[in-house]
Amino acid sequence: MLISNVEIIPGRRIIKHLGMVQGNTVRAKHAGKDIMASFKNIFGGELKSYTELLQEAREEATDRMTRQAKGLGANAVINVRFATSSIAAGAAELFVYGTAVELD
Amino acid sequence: MPEYENPEVPEGINVSEEHPLKEFILLACGIGAAVAVVLFALTLLAQNAAKAIPFEMEKKLAANAIFSADTENLKSSEFEKYLSTLANKLAKQQGLPEGMTITLHYSNQNIVNAFATLGGHIFVYRGLIDKLPHENALAMVIAHEIAHIRHRDPIIAMGRGATMMLILALFTGGDSAVAQQFLGQIGLVTALNFNREQELAADVVALETLQAYYGHVNGAEVLFEVLGEEEGEVPLAFLSTHPMTQSRIDHVISFRDEHDGRGELTPLPEYQ
Amino acid sequence: MYDILIFLTLMALGFFFGRRAEKKHFKSIRRREAKYRQILAFSERLPPPNTRPVESQLVSGNVVISVDYFKQIVAGLKTLVGGRLTSYESLLERARREAILRMKEQAAAAGAETIFNVKLETASITKGNGQQVGCVEVFAYGTAIIPIA
Repeated sequence: MLISNVEIIPGRRIIKHLGMVQGNTVRAKHAGKDIMASFKNIFGGELKSYTELLQEAREEATDRMTRQAKGLGANAVINVRFATSSIAAGAAELFVYGTAVELD
Repeated sequence: MPEYENPEVPEGINVSEEHPLKEFILLACGIGAAVAVVLFALTLLAQNAAKAIPFEMEKKLAANAIFSADTENLKSSEFEKYLSTLANKLAKQQGLPEGMTITLHYSNQNIVNAFATLGGHIFVYRGLIDKLPHENALAMVIAHEIAHIRHRDPIIAMGRGATMMLILALFTGGDSAVAQQFLGQIGLVTALNFNREQELAADVVALETLQAYYGHVNGAEVLFEVLGEEEGEVPLAFLSTHPMTQSRIDHVISFRDEHDGRGELTPLPEYQ
Repeated sequence: MYDILIFLTLMALGFFFGRRAEKKHFKSIRRREAKYRQILAFSERLPPPNTRPVESQLVSGNVVISVDYFKQIVAGLKTLVGGRLTSYESLLERARREAILRMKEQAAAAGAETIFNVKLETASITKGNGQQVGCVEVFAYGTAIIPIA
């Protein structure tokens, strides 16, 4: 499955446009990590647990989008966009969407 | 020319197929158990820490927080003097540690209750005394409450309650006001009372005091009979921290049989 | 004691009514999705090079959906242990599909056949008491291509 955030894949031709596919997930880390992160806020620096959380969530959302695209018989998702929103405190909502297409 | 179409997207990819009720029950049980374990460990710590607070400080704490207002307008009638004298005699029998004092308050309200609280203060209500037929039962009440103070039970209970509140506030993190209230309620129910072990220990000391003071413990069981009648109205008996009334009566009787403690009952003086 | 009773009542109300509303909403979404299937939506930026004359128009649809009390509590508990907040997933799914449908309805009213460059925005409007989500807004917008007869 080819995933790209441009619309034209060099050297490939789009045979079929299959419409929008989306993937989303809402995830949280356990309270212990939340507490550690709040300590980290005092000293600054990377919040490893949250980096991890968002990365995991992004991967899961992408995976779900890919599954939708497969269900449509597509072999690529183009013009992919990621969006993050905070739905609940300490939870990350990751949303990814794009157009499923069939390349030759 | 590419084709454009919108086939049907398969359902259920972006939602998890888990029954919400099952998830809730699992979560509630798991988190409940974890909170209980942490609470238990930390309250145990807090109880021991609270014991280390000197009685002088406890007294000041109580004076500032609770009794600044109502200790002054207590009128001392004959009956109150009698109660104070009785309490002092019983306290002497128990041999309180250095610096520990007992202050007895009598309240002319129709409530069947008596309790000990911070700073060595004991409250006795007329409603309870009305139900007691003789001084021996009253002495049992007072000796029991003095024993609580000697064991530092009020400050331990306070330490326990404060820790519980703190932890629950931390856990819920202000996430949901109602959840916090809900947990706070549980905290209150368990925090404001002494636990069974504390009550039983106070009973034992009270019986020993009565044995030393009167030379017998006859009549002590009447207190529990009275309390048992009152408790009949409380449906949540399993939540009550007082040991089952019947087992307390049995305890008094076995103590009496062991010490051959049968003797004359002392009547109560006149009072209003 | 009364607080516990109120809490349990709210939980039960949230559970039954929330579930019923969700089922009903999904049913209606599926029905309307079938109805507007002929209107095609793509997130691609550019429409195909056209041979026939067309008009374009911005179309949009938005919806605000509130979470029920039961889901809120379950999600609140779940944030303590971590992992997927499954109760919010269906909420967002409903909101997104509904927003796209409303956008399609608007496009259909304008006589369009396709919508290009569809974008979705999510915002949580009210952060309720204690930063809990109260409701979520999804806004979908795109350019409708209307063929001139």
